Amino acid sequence: MTHRELELLLDAYVDGELALGDARELEAHLTECGDCARLHEARLVLSDAIRQQVPAFRAPDPLRTRVRAALRSAAGAPNTRRRLPPLVWRSLALAGSLVVAVGSWRFALDRAHGQALTDQVLASHVRSLMPGHLADVASTDQHTVKPWFNGKVDFSPPVYDFAGRGFPLIGGRLDYVGGRPVAALVYGRRQHLINVFLWPAAQGPVGGAAAVTRQGYHLLHWATRDYAYWVVSDLGLPELRDFAGLLQRGDSATAAPTR
Amino acid sequence: MEPNELERFEAIVLPHLDAAYTLARYLTRDDHDAQDVVQDAYLRALKYFGGFRGEESGEARAWVLAIVRNTAHTWRRRHRADALATEFDEERHSEAVTGDHPAAALDRDTARESVRQALERLSPEFREVIVLRELQGLSYKEISDVTEAPVGTVMSRLARARRRLRDMLSAAQEKD
Repeated sequence: MTHRELELLLDAYVDGELALGDARELEAHLTECGDCARLHEARLVLSDAIRQQVPAFRAPDPLRTRVRAALRSAAGAPNTRRRLPPLVWRSLALAGSLVVAVGSWRFALDRAHGQALTDQVLASHVRSLMPGHLADVASTDQHTVKPWFNGKVDFSPPVYDFAGRGFPLIGGRLDYVGGRPVAALVYGRRQHLINVFLWPAAQGPVGGAAAVTRQGYHLLHWATRDYAYWVVSDLGLPELRDFAGLLQRGDSATAAPTR
Repeated sequence: MEPNELERFEAIVLPHLDAAYTLARYLTRDDHDAQDVVQDAYLRALKYFGGFRGEESGEARAWVLAIVRNTAHTWRRRHRADALATEFDEERHSEAVTGDHPAAALDRDTARESVRQALERLSPEFREVIVLRELQGLSYKEISDVTEAPVGTVMSRLARARRRLRDMLSAAQEKD
């Protein structure tokens, strides 16, 4: 190995994570390379300093009590989905009452219905970001997420993993939008989350996606021959459009999605 | 939920409350927020406990820490607007120091606190690997499970986090 390669392995060596052969080679290198030896010494000093000066905490007793009580009460009421705190309802209601620019809705739905749907999709997205609400099935495997919807909705949503394109699949969830159960798929992009809502319906702008921005979230909406799609995220609009493009291409590549 | 299921959860997951609180405390940099994150995380953990198949204590620790981490990141996203903090983007900000936390600024001159201050000014991605490795002694594999990053990424992230810490500390020394 070269000096540069060995230098990159120093942290793994200090952490005891290096395979024996590599560790031997690195140790030999440390005896003859002054730079690496100094770096090694500096790493040891730093680790010591961290352990001496940065405390691991003990959970405060009130927290311990609180967590136990919360667990007991949650375990006692297993099948009731926790209601939204009133504050969230209030802020969603407030958001709904704001006058918003709706952009150009080219599809033939009437405007009021479109807005109501936009509100619902946005509310579902916001709700999904609250702890414990993101995914009912957390899996990066499309072959786990897709069958999970069997028996929960009356269609089998097309599910793709775009990890290779920087949009990894995170999971799926059953949601309720526009008066019907819908499939919600969750994707990630760096620290951003993207919710994809879809249900069988061919209404809306086929082809290009219509965009709306509300409360800092972008919503894209389009329809294919089989499904209505809504995509929501706080991701920048150009990247969200790229993602929508992937979904559209994926969907059209599927000859006939199972219904 | 069966009563003995709750008992099993309390026996397996509750012992890691200190580790959970420590991680949450360094991720949120606030006692009160850390407590909220831990409580949320434990409720989520209970909900998903049926899917937990681990047997060793270390597995339960990595499992619950992953939930704490995700809860803390969700929390951070929700509070991003208040904090006015630039969201961390590894490609763009890996060499930039995130903004000073007010608490860190208050005791900046206390030399004894300097390593901790430097840690708190690291980006969350760097901070969490340091906490998991140096304070909690997790293996690379366990850190990989908690942070959902490949082992190779864990290794390079740790190396970069330490280099960053050392640069910050030597810069502080030069000022003295």
